[in-house]
Amino acid sequence: MSFLAPLFFVGLAAVAIPVLVHLIQRERKDVVAFPSLMFLRRIPYQSVERRRIHNWLLLALRVAAMALVVAAFTRPFFEGDPLRAAAVTSGAREVVILLDRSASMAYGDHWKRAQDEALKVVRSLGGADQATLVLFGTATEEAVRATSDKGRLESAIAAATVSSDGTRYAPALRWAQSLLARSELPRKEAVLISDFQRSGWERQEDIHLPEGATLAAVSVATPDWANLSVASAAFDRGSFSGEERVTVTAGLTNRSASPVTVPVTLEIDGRVLDTRRVTVAANASGSATFPPFTVAVPSLRGSIRAGSDALAADNVFHFALSPSRPVSILIVQAEGADRRSSEFLTTALSFGASPPFRAEVLPPSRVTAASLERRSVVILHNATWLATEADAALRRFVEQGGGLLVVLADRTPWNGPEFPLLAGRPGNPVDRLGMGGGTLGFLDYSHPILDEFKDPRNGNFSNIRFLKYRALSPAQGDRVLARFDDGGVAMAERAVGAGRAITFTSPLDDTWNDFPKQALFLPLLHEMMRYLAKYEEPVTWHTVGRVLDISVPLAALVREGSAGDTAAGPRKATGIVMTPGGAQQTIGEGGAPSIALAEQGFYAVRIQGMGERRPFQVAVNLDPTESDLAALPPQEFAKTVAGRAATAPGQSLEHPELTPADIEKKQSTWWFLFLAGLAAMVSEAVVANRLSKRFGKGLR
Amino acid sequence: METHAIPGARFVDPTVLVRIKDLDLVARSVVDGFINGLHRAPHFGASIDFAEHRGYVPGDDIRRVDWKLYARTDRYFVKQYEADTNANMSVLFDISRSMAFASEGVSKLQYGSILAACLTYLSHKQRDRVGIITFDEDIVTYVPPSAKHFNVVLQTLDRSRAERPGRLLAVLEKAAEHFKRRSIVALISDLYENPSDLIEALKPYRFLGNDLIVFHVLDPAEVEFPYRQASRFEDLESGEEVPVVPEVFAEQYRRMMREHIETISTKCADLRIDYVQLTTVQPLDEALFSYLGNRERLMRVR
Repeated sequence: MSFLAPLFFVGLAAVAIPVLVHLIQRERKDVVAFPSLMFLRRIPYQSVERRRIHNWLLLALRVAAMALVVAAFTRPFFEGDPLRAAAVTSGAREVVILLDRSASMAYGDHWKRAQDEALKVVRSLGGADQATLVLFGTATEEAVRATSDKGRLESAIAAATVSSDGTRYAPALRWAQSLLARSELPRKEAVLISDFQRSGWERQEDIHLPEGATLAAVSVATPDWANLSVASAAFDRGSFSGEERVTVTAGLTNRSASPVTVPVTLEIDGRVLDTRRVTVAANASGSATFPPFTVAVPSLRGSIRAGSDALAADNVFHFALSPSRPVSILIVQAEGADRRSSEFLTTALSFGASPPFRAEVLPPSRVTAASLERRSVVILHNATWLATEADAALRRFVEQGGGLLVVLADRTPWNGPEFPLLAGRPGNPVDRLGMGGGTLGFLDYSHPILDEFKDPRNGNFSNIRFLKYRALSPAQGDRVLARFDDGGVAMAERAVGAGRAITFTSPLDDTWNDFPKQALFLPLLHEMMRYLAKYEEPVTWHTVGRVLDISVPLAALVREGSAGDTAAGPRKATGIVMTPGGAQQTIGEGGAPSIALAEQGFYAVRIQGMGERRPFQVAVNLDPTESDLAALPPQEFAKTVAGRAATAPGQSLEHPELTPADIEKKQSTWWFLFLAGLAAMVSEAVVANRLSKRFGKGLR
Repeated sequence: METHAIPGARFVDPTVLVRIKDLDLVARSVVDGFINGLHRAPHFGASIDFAEHRGYVPGDDIRRVDWKLYARTDRYFVKQYEADTNANMSVLFDISRSMAFASEGVSKLQYGSILAACLTYLSHKQRDRVGIITFDEDIVTYVPPSAKHFNVVLQTLDRSRAERPGRLLAVLEKAAEHFKRRSIVALISDLYENPSDLIEALKPYRFLGNDLIVFHVLDPAEVEFPYRQASRFEDLESGEEVPVVPEVFAEQYRRMMREHIETISTKCADLRIDYVQLTTVQPLDEALFSYLGNRERLMRVR
């Protein structure tokens, strides 16, 4: 028998306590009252008698309780226990093979070795053993669920490929934890085969494998690794002769002990534009700047390639570029209206660089379907309804994702045919002159347009005076964004197809209100235009793992002013996505709501009804942390996983040598000793209680 | 504590009275009295029960001359009858501090109070005159025997508190002066005195013709001495403390106590004093019943 904590035997000295207590039998401090000492006084007092032990049973129980508790603390275990040996080395195994397939595993022969290690584990399985194959990167996939069929496991390992994923160990280990916890087999093992990238593990991950389970960490990392990667790209836009030109600068990172000189190539739409030779110092970053090129069409596919090394995937960097054009806005104002009536709007829209706005003013009679081409937003400013054809085109424009702002005033018809793009039914003008003008009493700050104005320091809407406004009765489903202080609707929104239509019930000039003269006019108008144009800062590339939905290409269409280009089709847009691997997927109406960008390369999205227009391109690059192959020592990693026992690399997985702590934990002898100690204490309490009752006077 | 119309009446346990109410409390000696009762008077006199004849002496009432006997014997005899009368019944109740001792809930003082109440109640029912003397180091209360003093006796018992040390011998000597007429005297005490001295102190009562009953009331712990733990023991009377190792002392103590009880019992028998040893766990009715039964038998023999 051995002990895990023999120092606790010092505690056996406590056994002396009950013995001494029983021997000493000190006089009780409380005095016993007695009627008369007439007889007691005559008896001589003898103290020597007090050295006798009075109650052997009680003493034995107390000593036993002390000794058993102390023994429990020493954590004893039996090394030569045949039952234990049988339990440890026999019995079916539940093995979970965690195979890292993150992008970094493509380095050199890492993947091949990882597959070999996995196959080795499979071959070591006994007849009653079961194994589960889990492939992981950032995401975790159970390739083969608990089976004894070695053939299935081997073919699944052979069929597995390296992904473009990043590395995250925690989800995979949790998966293994869950599988092992559910298993009823006596031996539970998790085998983690990876390059143990340091970046994939966060120290604060708290993972506990089930009781008795072991984790074997099998590393395929190369100790002296070197890697060059294209980590980033910067785009400097400028204009030359009316054309937009972009200068691309590639950021390179050299993670090796020696400097590297590589050719760096810029490709646009598959054509090599330029090649530069760049030398990057050891463990340093460098850059390559290419001559500017013209971006004339949207969704240009660009790639930067920097030489070739053991990890080829991070030697290429993809991006997608589109010309940055201003948001085009058509302002429709009533026939014969004063030029000044839209002056505030045009002036306000002439400012702004992010994005720049370009506004054109037309009367309703001159608005045709062609007028809506390449527009992002249409403003009907106190205008009469459009001609039938133009009206249909406008409706289509909004349904396809375009933005519409309808400004109601005296010229807006109030009893005409229903206008489905209007957020409600307009009524008579409401005169607030008698009250000195109304103010805005309610604003829905949760709406993106008004979100910026939530902070009172960003402006005060109560300063704006509205002398008149058109009544509006919003329909069910319309969202009221602002109300006047008398409850009348000031601004409301209606979603129409993929587009948005906002109605403002007072003109955006200085006739019915002083809003255009207030400081808030310009920022609010710009926010409205951005919102209606679905403007977002163009993203030239994404990292693997992001999610793409139909709103991204649609917003790009609206931004580019192509929303009205589509043929009349379904109310909601549908896109066909072509992945870098060549697979096709439908997103939007009738397809998946979104797809994960899981592969490095270009995802091409074609919106249905867009004809021969260039497909929208989404460039996807590897997670930059995958280029850093600095590895954790497998033993340290295994210790980090909640202190579980682990095998050293190369150690037999079939018969892992158990540490004394493992053996002790399996036997849990201390637990029985502790229970026996508790039982002795309970018995002592019962016996002492009975004695106390029997000899109540003396024990009192 | 229950309250009753008559203070102290709680001591008159109805269950006790149910058991002994049919018994006659017969005084050993006949006491002079005025009311015809169950007790036989110490002097022959007018009664329906004939006792004996005696020779006529001048001065005797000639109506009591037995003329039929004169006819037969030609000598004058006077008929004598045993006269029933009421008796004086006094309780001498020790309320010294040692009587407050209780190991099992009922103290000796409480037990003695119940006993005294029962005795006086019985006597009162027989139209005896009842009185009480409570004492510790001196006489605390003296209630002279009277037919109207039953309630006073109960009140006295109710007020009794064991607060001072006792001097049994001195008080017995002093209290004897109060017994001018022959009485039934019941002494209730734990009798922590030398048996010889105690008997000496009781002798005057006997010589005055009183019928003396000694109730020796003890706690079971005083008799069995069940202590186990070495402790300091404090004398309730004097406050003195002594270290005691019960394991060693217990046997000797029990022997001493046994001898003490036997000595008192023997000496009382010699002096024709009734001695009853009671412990506070003993049912009171049983004790009284056996005692009164003995008394009745004694009277029949006489």
